[in-house]
Amino acid sequence: MTENDRKDATRDAVGREVEAVVNEQLAGLPPEQAEAMREKIHRRVREEIERDLRARSAADRREAARHAKEKHPEEGETYLRFNRNFRFQHMVMFSSVILLIITGMPLKFPNFLLSRFVINFWGGIQNSTIVHRIGAGMLIYFMVHHFIYTIVTRDGRRDFWLLLPNLGDAKDIAHNIKHFLGKVPDKPRFGRFSYIEKFDYWAVYWGCIIMIGSGLFLWFETDVLRFLPKYALDVAHEMHSDEAILATLAIVIWHFYNVHFNPDRFPGTLLWWHGRLSEHEMKEEHPLELEEILARRAKESVEVTHR
Amino acid sequence: MRKFALAAVLFFLGGAFLPGLAGDASASISLEKCTLCHGKAEFRKLLVGGSIRDLFVTGDTLKGSVHGKKVCTDCHFDVSEIPHRERPRRVTCTHCHFKGNQEGAPQSDNVLAYFDSAHGTAIARGNAKAPLCQDCHGSHAIIKAKDPGSKVARAHVAETCGKCHMEIYAQFKGSIHGAALGKGITEVPSCTGCHGEHKIYAHNDPKSTIYPTHVSEQCSKCHASISIMGKFGIETEQVATYKMSFHGVAGQFGSRTVANCSSCHGVHDIRPSDDPLSMVNPKNVPKTCGKCHPGANPNFAVGKIHVDAKKKESGIIYWTAFFFKWLTICTMLALIAHIFLDMYGRTRRLRGER
Repeated sequence: MTENDRKDATRDAVGREVEAVVNEQLAGLPPEQAEAMREKIHRRVREEIERDLRARSAADRREAARHAKEKHPEEGETYLRFNRNFRFQHMVMFSSVILLIITGMPLKFPNFLLSRFVINFWGGIQNSTIVHRIGAGMLIYFMVHHFIYTIVTRDGRRDFWLLLPNLGDAKDIAHNIKHFLGKVPDKPRFGRFSYIEKFDYWAVYWGCIIMIGSGLFLWFETDVLRFLPKYALDVAHEMHSDEAILATLAIVIWHFYNVHFNPDRFPGTLLWWHGRLSEHEMKEEHPLELEEILARRAKESVEVTHR
Repeated sequence: MRKFALAAVLFFLGGAFLPGLAGDASASISLEKCTLCHGKAEFRKLLVGGSIRDLFVTGDTLKGSVHGKKVCTDCHFDVSEIPHRERPRRVTCTHCHFKGNQEGAPQSDNVLAYFDSAHGTAIARGNAKAPLCQDCHGSHAIIKAKDPGSKVARAHVAETCGKCHMEIYAQFKGSIHGAALGKGITEVPSCTGCHGEHKIYAHNDPKSTIYPTHVSEQCSKCHASISIMGKFGIETEQVATYKMSFHGVAGQFGSRTVANCSSCHGVHDIRPSDDPLSMVNPKNVPKTCGKCHPGANPNFAVGKIHVDAKKKESGIIYWTAFFFKWLTICTMLALIAHIFLDMYGRTRRLRGER
């Protein structure tokens, strides 16, 4: 018995029951009044049943989705998304950025209640500036490492070309917004990097260049002032402090939503640690990449058998 | 019976008052006796060092001072025979001036504050040169500090402190504050304006009003006030811009090495920046900044120091701030809109809509 048949059977059974009760109640009334009343009751009951069914089928769908999700980490093949080198870069970056934010923000908001606490946690402003420079050193190391990674390694070069924004991304954005609004049933099919991930990548690029550039100005202020006027330092200071706000907001709101608070991910995945995606996740989030991988494998196996 | 009671009361009251009257009489006698010697104009003593101590005192000496109704032995109470054989001891003001005194002296804890101060502790350590009350307030001609003629009035206190702190007094006289004081401007701070009156501490004592982390607070008492600065056409934004600068922020977090107002503007020799002797004159800026930033050069003076990115006059700095402000607003609005659209779509699908 299919699900729809079962639902029909239930509906019939309930209908018969209602009919019997209504007949019993309306037995004493004059015929035309009884007819009107019966019509009214029927309408109301139909409405109620339909509403119940709608809600129940949505709950069923949620249940099915939950099952699918619970199954996916164990079942099926996993695909390596980020190699060990890339994961290491991400870890260096996020630890340095956390250090930089917690030692930098109190300087931007000195009157905020927690600022004094955070500064004192490091043992005073003298120490917190040292910690900030350690964080800066780590971020600079990350930037250099990533440049070399992009140039030297094959994965780095491939990812760089795939991360360049193109017209397809604009289409994906439009498609995704239509999907959110319910105008299109399916979400866009992303390749290895969706427009969200491309934005994240280039935002980090922009942020690192601005923050490291202006930060170095502020770090070696006397040497900079040997060649540049004092207002150049003021501009660097302004850039450093404003871009810090933008970067922090982007990380805390946008990146945290995408990787932590998003209901698909909550409370976060371990992708940053093991770098692997399950088949289910690949199908959901990077279907074009999965197709490519499968096609390449098929081709390879054909080549192998023909050799 | 009634008459008897009244007489008795009068008798007792008389008994209470008479000794007082008698005391007054004896005091006036004592003054007469003192002026037997001290009333002579040539009554003075040649000291070992060659200086002369004038010992000339008349009945009018205390007239007009706050102690106008006192007599010699009220303070010089160790003089019990005339002529006194030894030099009378230094007058101890705390004999009357303490909180809870019955003499009618002002009720204040200033004496306690003094004993805690740099001067009071120096005295306690045995420094005979450190000042006691009378060194600042004067000995016989003490008048209220509010009175412009007082030695500790705003117009004269620098001179009084300068008796010992001579070099500093000379520096102060040349500074903008000292010059303004000379012109009779009453808002301008003299020594006590920054250092405090009785609670004067060394500059490296954390209790001091001029401890490195307190300096900006002390200066901003006047320099952040539009009502005071407006009179002289001086801007008040320096305080706010300093507080937002790295120097100001680090100072608020307790750094003692970071620059405060006086690190750059000078301590006692504060002068306007167009004065060639000013530490913040563009010509002197490399030297001033070089105290902490070795190798500072004239580029340190190119551009405003107290710069406010929110003001259009700041030029490129204003436009940088403007660009980043709108970049942040637009980016974050777009990202947050995307997040909310995503959540909206998810909610729709959960409800069973398409």
